[in-house]
Amino acid sequence: MISYSAKILTGQPLRLAITVAGISLCIVLMLFLLAAYHGVADGSVDYIRKNRSDLWVLSSNAWNILRGSSILLTADAARIEGINGVKSVSSVLFLLTGIRKDGQQATVYLAGFDPEADLGGPPDIVQGRTVNGDDEIVLDRDFARKFNLSLGESVRVRDTLLEIVGISDGTNALVIQYAFVTLRRAQQLIGYPGMATCFLVTTEPGANIRAISEGIKKKVSGVEVYDHETFLKNNIRELQVGFLPFIYTVAAIGVVVLTAILSLLLSVNILERRKDFAVFKTLGSPRGFVSGMVISQSALISLAGCIAAITLYFPLVNFIERVTPEISTRTSIWQMSAVVAVVLAMSVVSSLISMQRLRGIYALEAFS
Amino acid sequence: MRSAADPCSYVVLKNVSKTFLDGDQKVHAVRDACLVASPGELIVLLGPSGSGKTTLLTLIAGLLSPTSGSLSLFGQSLTSYSNGDLQSMRAKRIGFIFQNFLLIDSIPVVENVAMVLRFSGRGRSDALARARELLDQFGIGYLARKLPSALSQGEKQRVAVARAIANNPELIIADEPTASLETNQGFDIIRLLHDYARQERRCVIVATHDLRIADLADRVLRVVDGRVRVQCPQDQAKEVYPGRPVA
Ligand SMILES: Nc1ncnc2c1ncn2[C@@H]1O[C@H](COP(=O)(O)OP(=O)(O)O)[C@@H](O)[C@H]1O
Ligand SMILES: [Mg+2]
Repeated sequence: MISYSAKILTGQPLRLAITVAGISLCIVLMLFLLAAYHGVADGSVDYIRKNRSDLWVLSSNAWNILRGSSILLTADAARIEGINGVKSVSSVLFLLTGIRKDGQQATVYLAGFDPEADLGGPPDIVQGRTVNGDDEIVLDRDFARKFNLSLGESVRVRDTLLEIVGISDGTNALVIQYAFVTLRRAQQLIGYPGMATCFLVTTEPGANIRAISEGIKKKVSGVEVYDHETFLKNNIRELQVGFLPFIYTVAAIGVVVLTAILSLLLSVNILERRKDFAVFKTLGSPRGFVSGMVISQSALISLAGCIAAITLYFPLVNFIERVTPEISTRTSIWQMSAVVAVVLAMSVVSSLISMQRLRGIYALEAFS
Repeated sequence: MRSAADPCSYVVLKNVSKTFLDGDQKVHAVRDACLVASPGELIVLLGPSGSGKTTLLTLIAGLLSPTSGSLSLFGQSLTSYSNGDLQSMRAKRIGFIFQNFLLIDSIPVVENVAMVLRFSGRGRSDALARARELLDQFGIGYLARKLPSALSQGEKQRVAVARAIANNPELIIADEPTASLETNQGFDIIRLLHDYARQERRCVIVATHDLRIADLADRVLRVVDGRVRVQCPQDQAKEVYPGRPVA
């Protein structure tokens, strides 16, 4: 049966090629969306995920750092330090700012942190080193690639020249990339020396996190305190709210197109071979033979589509990432399996759809 | 003539009628047909186009159910067969030859023949081996890997016969098997079928409007306006087309 299905398919090589190409493009689209989403998700929250702090303190109107304006005063950090069980408190100031170089300008999500506390800096340095002095900056890898910036060069923020001393990874949130300077520099750039966005708190081993949280809220009014896990979840959720509906919509369109292409081909193959099917029925083909033929055709095409897609996918992603460096993808076996599972499910659905055609074919037609 | 009660009869039709509805109009394709077909004979249903031959054949194969009358196959009333029974009976006990043969064009000749063996429950390699054997027997073993579309009509005819007899069925039903053939080839296929009926003690029913092949039949039944009019010896065949010479 499979060999028969394969022969039916290869009997029309052009049609087969077009269908497989269409289906593999749908699969590539789905793979790419998933990989891009994960790239963005990881790039957006790696900063938080890899942070060593135990508690995040923000003003109570903000529960994440991706979308929200939290304003704190660094003076309050000292008050938190006095709480029993607190090991260190470090202020971080985030600001959206433009940077310029040779007439080019671009926006970064600038994080000002305290290099001495070594908290709130770049999660991964892939080149150079982290920021030590006020005239230094660390840029995201994809950002640097896009604007052709390298170590040792200087960029301008407002009237200040900052030297690029390091390149970081896990700091690309697609729509914006992180950059890092000292807290002092960030405060000077925004013009409010005492200002911070959040406090990163580390605690003594075995300290009572809840009690410390309560203590912080009692000492500093108008703030909220989150443990590491909760804060990470908050940020991921904030990201998903923005991206997932878009991803789902495009992926759903991909699935529908894939199913439509597949059903169309299967239906055409059935209708073109009406007489064959009538002959099978007359000759006493066992129950399930003709439908099995449709299913096996569908499975063969889907499989070919998956193989073509995976072959096509990596070079394509490579190409896209080279042309538009700010798109950074993360592909995993898990994602691929999920996409293959969806494709196989849709292949069954397409078979069922096109099998409706079989019902209208009668054995008697072999005699007309 | 054998009676309907003969337990050896493969096919017994008693007053079988089939009426189609064509819009509001009733089409009486078969009326009150009586027919008995037994092992060892080749029967020709002879009649002009539209006389009801194909309808009769499909009734006999259990592909249609009669509007009235009774029909038994292999000693059992057709109504007692379930759909599954009918399917497996067609696969195992009936061979089919269609007008234009209707070989499956996308698979090689040997697989066309092997297919019906598979339908009757044989394993793949067994079916292929038997199919090759049959093709050799018909002198067309060299065509095994060819696609049917590459074959001449004469070659197709042999493949069609090989496919029809592959399962050694008790009954072969052939609808206008000579329609696309030259006269000599037409004789060939009927001779092959006749040999099969004689040697294997099987029954072959051929529907045709071709007067020339009636000569080779054991019995010729005239079909006129849906009636099986005369169960006549072959020399009466000329009554169907009065005034035209028998080829
Ligand atoms: N499915 C059908 N619906 C309506 N009329 C039919 C159908 N099948 C056959 N007929 C009619 O029944 C008559 C006999 O047809 P058929 O058995 O095909 O004759 P033959 O095979 O002798 O040419 C014709 O008039 C044909 O139009
Ligand atoms: Mg006919």
